[in-house]
Amino acid sequence: MKIKWYNLLLFISPAFILYTIFVIYPFISSIYLSFFSWVGVGAKKYVGLKNFYDTLFGSFKEEFFNALWHNIYFFIVVSIVEVSLGFIVALGLATQIKGYHIFRSIIYIPNVISMVLVGFIWGLILNPQIGLINQILKAIGLGHFAKAWLGDPNFAFNTIIAVNIWRHLGFYVLVMLAAIINIQPDFIEAAYIDGANNWNVIKNIIIPLTIPTAQTLILLLFIWSFSVFELIYALEGVQAGPFRSTDVLGTLFYRTAFGGLGSARMDLGLGAAIVTLMFLIILPVSFLYIRLVERRR
Amino acid sequence: MLKLGTKSKVIVFSLFTIYSIIIIVPFLNIVMNSFKSLSEIFLTPFSLPKQLRWENYVEAWTKANLGVGYLNSFFISVFSVIGILIISSMMAYILSRYRFPFRKILYLYVIAGLAFPARLAIIPIFIMLRDVGLLNSRLGLILLYMGTGVPFSVFLLKNFLDDVPIELEESAQIDGASPWTIFRKIDLPLIKPALVVVAIVNFVSVWNDFFFPLILISDRSKETIPLAVSVFYGEYAHQWHLLSTALWLAVVPVMIIYSIMSREFISGMTQGAIK
Repeated sequence: MKIKWYNLLLFISPAFILYTIFVIYPFISSIYLSFFSWVGVGAKKYVGLKNFYDTLFGSFKEEFFNALWHNIYFFIVVSIVEVSLGFIVALGLATQIKGYHIFRSIIYIPNVISMVLVGFIWGLILNPQIGLINQILKAIGLGHFAKAWLGDPNFAFNTIIAVNIWRHLGFYVLVMLAAIINIQPDFIEAAYIDGANNWNVIKNIIIPLTIPTAQTLILLLFIWSFSVFELIYALEGVQAGPFRSTDVLGTLFYRTAFGGLGSARMDLGLGAAIVTLMFLIILPVSFLYIRLVERRR
Repeated sequence: MLKLGTKSKVIVFSLFTIYSIIIIVPFLNIVMNSFKSLSEIFLTPFSLPKQLRWENYVEAWTKANLGVGYLNSFFISVFSVIGILIISSMMAYILSRYRFPFRKILYLYVIAGLAFPARLAIIPIFIMLRDVGLLNSRLGLILLYMGTGVPFSVFLLKNFLDDVPIELEESAQIDGASPWTIFRKIDLPLIKPALVVVAIVNFVSVWNDFFFPLILISDRSKETIPLAVSVFYGEYAHQWHLLSTALWLAVVPVMIIYSIMSREFISGMTQGAIK
């Protein structure tokens, strides 16, 4: 159809302007800011690549790579567990078990609860003295397994990952379930008629046909892994204790840009440099994802 | 679908029962705690509350500033969602129905936002809102959520519209209907199911958001529910009965809405990422 240009502008400009102001411009401006030293007020001081040098090679190096490693570790563990477990649970649902609709609804509940509230709820449950987990362990005679889940640097980060899986698994289950349900039932029927057993059907039909979905999920998980923040904030605070053992780029960035006791240095420019580096890391994956999304049509 | 014998069915059913218990127990735990006294939580963690201490609810509600939090969360979520629905459907309509130069580039420009978490760009957002006096402002948050809600909403609405035949609109145009009339009288009613999905997904993500209010709101009269609870959490770290009550009160409205509309939620949220 045809439309006059001023009508066209009238229709697209509200969304275009707000999106540009609040999404596109801030990204570009972050990159620009990363070349300055600035506390937020007064004059910006141009420092060239100093923020990047400090972050990657200088005084900030250890903190940065510690946090970056946690993000990568988080991505690896979470993508393996959530995608594979999500697939397995989805298979279970796809057997059309009794209570299918109820289980499906229950599984998704944690996803509709605010992440920070999930963190607080689990903070109570994981409390070493009176939290439910240790109480249960003691009650069933496994008291020696009781520990300070969030206070022990060896366990804290994995505990947080476990809480994250509790919160998100339902989403992956339902996405995988949708992929499984989308498979032509005739395919599977025909295979059964030819004498295939469940394992054959899963291996030769379901897995190959759900792999594209799993790949998309992993791309998204990579992008999302770099915005982890709420759970650490709720369970360990912005100091990401014990001893920074749960620090991620999100919390490091928060301390650098918005202060908080114990930040090595509060500087919006340095914070912007961290963000720019995160941006560069996810950029290739983002391009892949956009291509996938756009091609699907 | 997959076929199972009776024995495997029982096993699968039991596994799902266990999984469901793991999901429900944390909520059950805070509900129980919310009716107990502090000493009861310490001494008899597993037993039912001796009496229902409704005074916990009164105390938690006032101390956690939940009335204000609810009002703000509701106000911000509703206006953000209305705003998103209006601006996104207008853009999606143009992208789907008209051919013009740069159309493809405009579409790519918008869906690029799907692949970059907006929170990474918080520093300039903070400075910008501060400089125009919209820091600590509900309007500031609403505009921000409208802007960040655009990519997903336009993407979903445009794709939905692409599957709807265009003939009716073409004949309406020949009859002299303006683009605005066609949009309002033909397209909006057609894409209603997609608008519902967009509304739900955006409502939940705005209602639950903690990151933006944490950084942009410091005035207690402007705080949203997650922020109100987090401030309370910091101040009353050892008052477990009150913490549990506040958490439960913060969680329960979403749970109620979800239990009524779980089907719409599920289809909406899963379509969000993968379509």
